[in-house]
Amino acid sequence: MAEIFDRDTLLDLTVNVIPLGIILFFVAAFVLIDPFGGLDFYGRVLQMGLLAFPLVALAILTYVSGKAIAGDEKRSKVFFQGQATIEGSPEKHEVEEAIEAEAAGETDVEDPYGGDADEDESEVDPDADDNDDNDDESDVDADDESDESDESDADEDGEVDADEK
Amino acid sequence: MEITGQLLLTVLMGAFLLGVAAFLARVEDWRSYTPLGAGGGAVGESGYGHSEKPAGLIRWFTTVDHKDIGLLYGAYATVAFVVGGLMVMLMRAELTTPETAVLGSATFYNSLLTSHGITMLFLFGTPIIAAFSNYLIPLVIGADDMAFPRINAIAFWLLPPGALLIWAGFFPLPDVIPAQTAWTMYTPLSAGVGNGNQMNVGVDLMLLGLHLTGVSATMGAINFIATIFTERAEEVTWANLDIFSWTILTQSGLILFAFPLLGSALVMLLLDRNFATTFFAVEGGGPILWQHLFWFFGHPEVYILVLPPMGIVSYVLPRFSGRKLFGFKFVVYSTLAIGVLSFGVWAHHMFATGIDPRLRASFMAVSLAIAIPSAVKTFNWITTMWNGKLRLTTPMLFCIGFVSNFIIGGVTGVFLASIPVDLVLHDTYYVVGHFHYIVMGAITFAGMAGIYYWFPLVTGRWYQRRLAKAHFWLWMIGTNVTFFAMVLLGYGGMPRRYATYLPQFATLHQIASLGAFLLLVGGIIWIYNVAVSWIEGPRVQSGDPWRLDETDLNTAEWDWFEAKRETSLAATDGGEDVTADGGQEIEDDTAE
Ligand code: HEM
Ligand SMILES: [Cu+2]
Repeated sequence: MAEIFDRDTLLDLTVNVIPLGIILFFVAAFVLIDPFGGLDFYGRVLQMGLLAFPLVALAILTYVSGKAIAGDEKRSKVFFQGQATIEGSPEKHEVEEAIEAEAAGETDVEDPYGGDADEDESEVDPDADDNDDNDDESDVDADDESDESDESDADEDGEVDADEK
Repeated sequence: MEITGQLLLTVLMGAFLLGVAAFLARVEDWRSYTPLGAGGGAVGESGYGHSEKPAGLIRWFTTVDHKDIGLLYGAYATVAFVVGGLMVMLMRAELTTPETAVLGSATFYNSLLTSHGITMLFLFGTPIIAAFSNYLIPLVIGADDMAFPRINAIAFWLLPPGALLIWAGFFPLPDVIPAQTAWTMYTPLSAGVGNGNQMNVGVDLMLLGLHLTGVSATMGAINFIATIFTERAEEVTWANLDIFSWTILTQSGLILFAFPLLGSALVMLLLDRNFATTFFAVEGGGPILWQHLFWFFGHPEVYILVLPPMGIVSYVLPRFSGRKLFGFKFVVYSTLAIGVLSFGVWAHHMFATGIDPRLRASFMAVSLAIAIPSAVKTFNWITTMWNGKLRLTTPMLFCIGFVSNFIIGGVTGVFLASIPVDLVLHDTYYVVGHFHYIVMGAITFAGMAGIYYWFPLVTGRWYQRRLAKAHFWLWMIGTNVTFFAMVLLGYGGMPRRYATYLPQFATLHQIASLGAFLLLVGGIIWIYNVAVSWIEGPRVQSGDPWRLDETDLNTAEWDWFEAKRETSLAATDGGEDVTADGGQEIEDDTAE
């Protein structure tokens, strides 16, 4: 348990701690200041229950999901979203390490997506066949969506991949 | 005379049902599906023996393939969107004048208002999301199909009768009039109390139709929960589950708790109307009970509608920012937080009903807390784009439009969550502006982003880029013109749900109608573009039409698409007929 909820995971979970904190703030305010006063016991239970129920439910769900996600991170390979089933995609830490190495000025960093991905492509890339099949249309899609990238490529700092948590 | 008429109808109905049964028996070989007691595969027939899809219409009526069902949901939602859109265009036409000069009667306006809301939320919103989730989730998580393909089909086929019942009042049926209860169906009006006309059977039919759509949504939700929990490929651990699947999982959980409650409340209302129970009568449970039950469902419902679109944006937006989603896990956890907290805020819709102010404050507290996870996501989207290599393709434009509109919708919502502000703005056009920024500006925009993004995946063809961009800009401008005018109308004190208004509101109403007209034009362009491109758009030339590989942002569904293209190309090259091979059939979508 202690290993699962390490610093990184706790940091991820802060996002849910903030709403918990807001609810706790109101709990304290209603107890200490009691702005309206005059609630009987039943009313108090309702007032606090309406805050306590979401509070507890959110705390439990955050704990359970944190355990499932962080646990799986520790138990098995972690990929970026949607890439786990793609053959040859690198693991998340490989990509991150490559980026860090590059940032540190190392020059011989291998693109973690490079090797495998390229091989895949050469087997897969069907463009050649395509042209035989429907050559009348083969040049159409080039000027369709694909040239849109030109519109906004001004920023070339190539800072890809770095940020996924 | 009347008796013979009824007899005739009954006999006809019986004959019709027999015919249906015979037809079904003919097109479906029921025995091939469940080899009960066959003891494994020894007989040579596997459990789901779908070797080939039947052709033509019968395919669509009998399909249990998640992709086909996704397309059915999409077609259904589109029809509903058109119906609901035309209804609101009539309303906006009416609202160009302070009197009821255009439609001639406020009653008709009220009917349109009711149907527009219910159609858009239940017949367009939920189904369009189901279209994406059915088509994509099994592909993205590496499942063969949904966990319960047949339940999946049943869930869809409950929807068309639901729509017919909900719209029944508009059909030329004797003595049936459309409901005029607004989508919230507040009692006592919806219980048929008083001298109005809401005791009409049209309201009962609408309630029954709603009930059907609720059953459908619940079945779908159970199916998604089971699929995501049990059918994931081995590599897709919880840590690797993509954000769209997370939002669908959370949404399904919300549906599971919210929709059965709506169903029960609807049954209670039907009992009150037809069997003289007093659940919502003043002398019984009281009209406010309805509001509590309705909003305990209703607030989660708005998040049921917004979470998956947030998932789509979180999934698509990074692909055109040239980088991965910033703070992926923040987005996951905040999704779950929204899911839980959305059950603790329902009475923020009832601040003005005179409920105990000390309890009201608790609802305010949780309503403010729920704004945090929504804001977290917004910051994540912005940070993802920050310094990224943006490619302003049509799906990306719709994603950016989503973020922009969601900010305005969210901020107006936070103000409404504050009791003193709400007491001034409740039941004004400000509220209408708030939630339309979200349901139109955000949810529908995300839907369009998804439709354009996965159009090549589904059809194998390209849409027309210029038309798509025209669609985007018309909608971006139209949405903001229409709904910002409504926010201003609300500040001015214009109450919602009226066919008439004081002359001083005329200008802003006309501006809102102008914006709505832009939305109509954009919508027509969209339908035209999708329909024409589906039939004769240029074919996609590679398995990675968005060139995601260049930025290492490829995902499983495009990988599947690439593999599918390869198989079908190989098959066509060999000059052989394209038939199903081992479960992964080669779609003939592209030719349709
Ligand atoms: C940022 C968080 C949000 C907050 C704090 C919030 C708050 C509110 C409040 C207090 C009201 C009631 C206003 C009144 O009737 O006086 C309201 C109405 C509404 N909100 Fe939101 N909202 C938020 C987000 C959303 C989202 C994401 C959706 C849609 C998916 C949504 C849809 C609606 C709808 C449909 C209504 C009107 C219901 C009706 O009376 O017909 N809101 N919102
Ligand atoms: Cu709400």
